[in-house]
Amino acid sequence: MSPALAALFRPASIAVVGTNRVQGSVPYDLFHNILRDGFRGKLYPVSPRESSIDGVKAYKYVLDIEEPVDLAVIVFPSSVCHLALEQCGRKGIPSALVISAGFREVGQAGAQREERLREIAGRYGITLIGPNCLGLINTDPRVSLNASFARRLPEPGAIAFLSQSGALCTAVLDYAQARHIGFSSLVSFGNKAGATEIDLLRYLSDDPRTRVILLYLEEVTDGPGLMAAARQTIAETGKPVLVLKAGRTRAGAAAASSHTGSLAGSDQICDAAFRQAGILRCDTVEDMLDAAVALVGQPVPRGNRVAIVTNAGGPGVLATDRAVRAGLSLAGFTAETTTALKKSLPAAASIRNPVDVIGDAKAERYQAAVSAVLADEGVDGALVILTPQSMTDIPAIAGEICRLAGASSGEPPSVDFTQAAQPKPLYTCFMGQRDVAEGADILQRGGVPQYGQPERMCEAFARAWRFGVIRRRLRSELVEAEAPAGSTAAGELPARARELLANPSGRRYLPLDQALELLTCYGLPVPPYALARTGAEAAAAAERIGFPVALKAVSEQVVHKSDVGAVRLGIGTGGEAAEGFRAVREAALQASGARVDGVLVQAMAPPGLELILGFKRDPAFGTAVLAGAGGIWVELLRDVSFRIPPFGEGEALAMLEELAVHPLLAGARGRPALDVGALAGCILRLARLALACPGIEELDVNPLLVYERGRGCAALDARVLRRRT
Amino acid sequence: MSQAIVHVLKLQPGEVTPEANFIFDLGADSMQSLQLVAAFEEEFGVEMEQEAALAVQTVASAVDFIKAILDGRG
Repeated sequence: MSPALAALFRPASIAVVGTNRVQGSVPYDLFHNILRDGFRGKLYPVSPRESSIDGVKAYKYVLDIEEPVDLAVIVFPSSVCHLALEQCGRKGIPSALVISAGFREVGQAGAQREERLREIAGRYGITLIGPNCLGLINTDPRVSLNASFARRLPEPGAIAFLSQSGALCTAVLDYAQARHIGFSSLVSFGNKAGATEIDLLRYLSDDPRTRVILLYLEEVTDGPGLMAAARQTIAETGKPVLVLKAGRTRAGAAAASSHTGSLAGSDQICDAAFRQAGILRCDTVEDMLDAAVALVGQPVPRGNRVAIVTNAGGPGVLATDRAVRAGLSLAGFTAETTTALKKSLPAAASIRNPVDVIGDAKAERYQAAVSAVLADEGVDGALVILTPQSMTDIPAIAGEICRLAGASSGEPPSVDFTQAAQPKPLYTCFMGQRDVAEGADILQRGGVPQYGQPERMCEAFARAWRFGVIRRRLRSELVEAEAPAGSTAAGELPARARELLANPSGRRYLPLDQALELLTCYGLPVPPYALARTGAEAAAAAERIGFPVALKAVSEQVVHKSDVGAVRLGIGTGGEAAEGFRAVREAALQASGARVDGVLVQAMAPPGLELILGFKRDPAFGTAVLAGAGGIWVELLRDVSFRIPPFGEGEALAMLEELAVHPLLAGARGRPALDVGALAGCILRLARLALACPGIEELDVNPLLVYERGRGCAALDARVLRRRT
Repeated sequence: MSQAIVHVLKLQPGEVTPEANFIFDLGADSMQSLQLVAAFEEEFGVEMEQEAALAVQTVASAVDFIKAILDGRG
């Protein structure tokens, strides 16, 4: 655990620098909140004008404090924060929280002020949070720290929340308070001039009081770093990482010039990267808290087979529908379970899944049904529904469910993934608002995931189950090897590839013949080809390659060659090749402003399934590799998946499994299975090329034909866009 | 100038030094900063551009700032 961050989260002494006595102001409230919420250490107000604040002796400067200080909370106006931080450095204070706004978020002058803070923090080795943030909360009773302008300290719990938005913290706290959701800590990190979400995530990964980590982000500045920290957290500690990331709708791909560019919006890449790292991405605060209470309160489901127990038919059907849509399956019961249910439920009850204990069910009936289904080896978890009838004893049933869920102690089961025989999870939906409020309160206080609608309950279970799958995958990758065999780690750039990318002409696109040669350098299978500059050269090349051949115009300006008639297929003689050369060249010239370098003569490849492979650079994640349904309809089909290299064969195969076209690869409707192994190999080679050639901005291979198992693939066309120099 | 600062910020005369920062050392809040600008305008019979005046951080800089205005007026 980082000692620098420990001083931030667990300070023994705090100076609030720049505070005052103006109630309702940020400088005062920060000091007052720390004092009011019972901080266990020493607290020093630092104020140029006051001799005491709230009865506590104040100091003019932080340098006047005689004792050591662990954390400075700076609340001065932005114009003088650097003076305060400089004094903190001189005093040897190891950590600082700069609450003040008026930095990078307000423009150039603010950015300069922020840079000054960064420089001072770096010079003195101060761990800095902020500026422009709400502050930090640690609910550990041994610390009890509310160094924020949130209204109150939340209930202690095992969820940590890191937020780029301070205001969202206060809203989440208020919302969570109503649902009795407890937190281990909250940090609003604002402009990230010092510690980032990655540093904080790594700290919380080691924090024994935290079992689930939530993150709200408005920007991802170091995608690979975030992925590595999340992956390590999940694999090594088993803690889920949930991210609410704003900016889904930004249209980043509008001006892209390649297929890959237009298919890979920054948010899609972000989605794929999070999935790859095992991060659970959430769409709303409610969605995130729904998943968090499930993961913190109950064991992670071992499978997706659920048993529904309900006292009402309709909600049972609603839950069934949503469970199936969310990827869950309704468990079939063993004979023993059916017998147990029959014995304890009235004749009118339904003893099949969903189990209907009928509207007049009391706590005993719920107890009998829920225990029976949880004991069934074919059940991975129970979803319990209650609707409030006049005879329903809601608090008694809630208490019974708490007991069954093992939650009455208030200490939910460990999330240790090595635990072999973990108990099964139990979620509830006490449906309604006012009448069920007391029961919902009992459940929430007891740590049982409780939802107001069956749909939300099912979605939360599905998310928790998927997390279990992800955790097993990441864990097994960790066990297998640090760098899996056949991974895409960048190797040395072959000499010929370096020559091809040298670009003395300054043109942004690599000519087609050179693009294909580059693919060959990385072992991608390219059918024989030659560049012809005259009809006679085309005929001679075709004779050499062997008929039939295809002819393709080589021109930087023509993106979609077949659209303008700049492709001829099935050329069978030298004469046809010479004639085809003229026709293809003419068609390309007629495409507006086209400059034609020549015509590519290429061996005709036998028909196969058309795919596209490619990569593009991304400001947040570095590089995104794409695989998808290829050919001329790629933009219409948009059947694509992404990964951030480096990755191994398992991820390459998983990319293919995500595609709608995957059944064709696997051999649908009696057709033979295709060479998925060779295809995955092409993806890995392309990813290696991407990492070894930073001078390439975007690259498409389209189409890449895939043949029957054992017959490999053929890369027929490629487009390589160099980076601007 | 010291008198105006002592009066507006309710300080002891000895606290006002040329290097003193209005906010960090003398504890001026935003309202008092506006009052200081008004007091200097009255004291020296000048008009100051508010944004520029509020950007002045130390007593010495304020002296220079007002001197420049007076010099500019000839």
